[in-house]
Amino acid sequence: MASVLRQQLSPLAGVLARPRPAARVEAYPLPPHERGLGVALHGVSKDFGARTVLRNISIDIAPGQFVAVVGRSGSGKSTLLRLLAGLEEPDSGQVLLGGRAPREAAASLRIMFQDGRLLPWRSVIENVALGLKRADLGRATDALASVGLADRAGEWPRVLSGGQKQRVALARALAAEPGLILLDEPLGALDALTRLEMQALIEDLWRRIGFSAVLVTHDVAEAALLADRILLIEDGGIALDIAVDIPRPRRPGVEVAAVEQKVLGYLLKS
Amino acid sequence: MRFLPSQKTLLSWAVPLALMVVWEIASVSGVIPPHKLPPPHRVVMAGWHMLRKGELVRDVLVSTGRAAAGFAIGGGLGFVFGLLAGVSRTAETTVDSSLQMLRMVPHLALIPLVILWFGIGESAKIFLVALGVFFPIYYNTYHGIRGIDTGLLEMARIQGLTKFELFREVIFPGALPSIMVGIRYALGIMWLTLIVAETIAGNAGIGFMTMNAREFMQTDVVLLGILLYALLGKLIDVGARRIEGSALAWHPSFGSN
Repeated sequence: MASVLRQQLSPLAGVLARPRPAARVEAYPLPPHERGLGVALHGVSKDFGARTVLRNISIDIAPGQFVAVVGRSGSGKSTLLRLLAGLEEPDSGQVLLGGRAPREAAASLRIMFQDGRLLPWRSVIENVALGLKRADLGRATDALASVGLADRAGEWPRVLSGGQKQRVALARALAAEPGLILLDEPLGALDALTRLEMQALIEDLWRRIGFSAVLVTHDVAEAALLADRILLIEDGGIALDIAVDIPRPRRPGVEVAAVEQKVLGYLLKS
Repeated sequence: MRFLPSQKTLLSWAVPLALMVVWEIASVSGVIPPHKLPPPHRVVMAGWHMLRKGELVRDVLVSTGRAAAGFAIGGGLGFVFGLLAGVSRTAETTVDSSLQMLRMVPHLALIPLVILWFGIGESAKIFLVALGVFFPIYYNTYHGIRGIDTGLLEMARIQGLTKFELFREVIFPGALPSIMVGIRYALGIMWLTLIVAETIAGNAGIGFMTMNAREFMQTDVVLLGILLYALLGKLIDVGARRIEGSALAWHPSFGSN
């Protein structure tokens, strides 16, 4: 599996950082998603003290699917992500990743955090390699190349721009070749142009590698641009579950805007 | 690389040099009685004399050895306890509150007790130094670990780090800026404690040298001892800064790049 990923990634070095020229984009249909990890939540509830954050939630995510979770702040979407990561335990119900509990599936799960969370005292490449076994260190180089930062390997994180830091965080998540990547508002702190570049990069890598992805975001347009499926969380439950059938690769445009309007319309009505 | 001192460096030495000249003239001409404050050249000559007899090197080595032994013992224990209190809540509640109480006792106030326990030999001096450096290193290690961004710890958990990797990659480097502050503070205390401890009694060391010289009214040797303490203290501080600069190269306020 490792060599497959390397073969897929190595020709991309330095190219993916720039917006992709239309001619390079592979045609629909998607590459096979056999690497992805299926996700299942059965009747999951979570309380914090007297407040119920999530109420009896059941979701099935097919291997390789890209799911976006949107909702107002405080709606429980971050809690959902933390439950999937095994950072919180559900008060009732069950979370299964590829049929196993999150803690047991920990090796095939990574998170890309909003604030990057790079170790300031480790170089870029050491950050990407964090947690890799000695024999797998080559994956870190490949992953860093796949986000177009191979030439920054030896630098301290603090000299990178916000967008570059997030690309390193993405490379770190990819390096373990996880079956599921959880994206916690990963682009929330970036400027509009950098965000568009990052969205294209994430979509491209996801299409090539085929991991499952759960993206938590407050940006409905971002959800419409990236996801196969959008879940709207409101009052601790799933208020809306819609499929997004726009051909990939996607660019911001009329089709994406229509999906965004649909979700926003529902949000504003309620 | 510059090999010649800049104008600024030369200027910063101008006032101390001028003072030395004034001191020399005042002392030689008799304005200052030489038995109270001998002229600089006599201090230098006393140093040269003792260096040739081999006493100076022996005394400096004995003092440095005491400082190093005390620092290694006290600093090592301080680091271990700080680490324990930093990573374990149980250790924090049991160790920290007791140590915080002990911290209130000035360690030099224990000198009479320490003499009763250890006599006036080496162990008394090393014990006092160890006690003095323990607390700053304990405290700064403990607080350095507590101050680590919890987001980084969570990230490390997600990345699947083992306990040892967590220590090597996150906890130790994260606490290092604070530990270095503790070390530099402890080095100051180490020296001060040693000076006081060496005046107790003994038969070697810079303190012994100066106390002995006082008996024989050798003011130049007393001055030499004081200058030696200052010089060694400065050397250690420069060394600590060097280590800090390379160990914290990633840090915007310490790093060189």
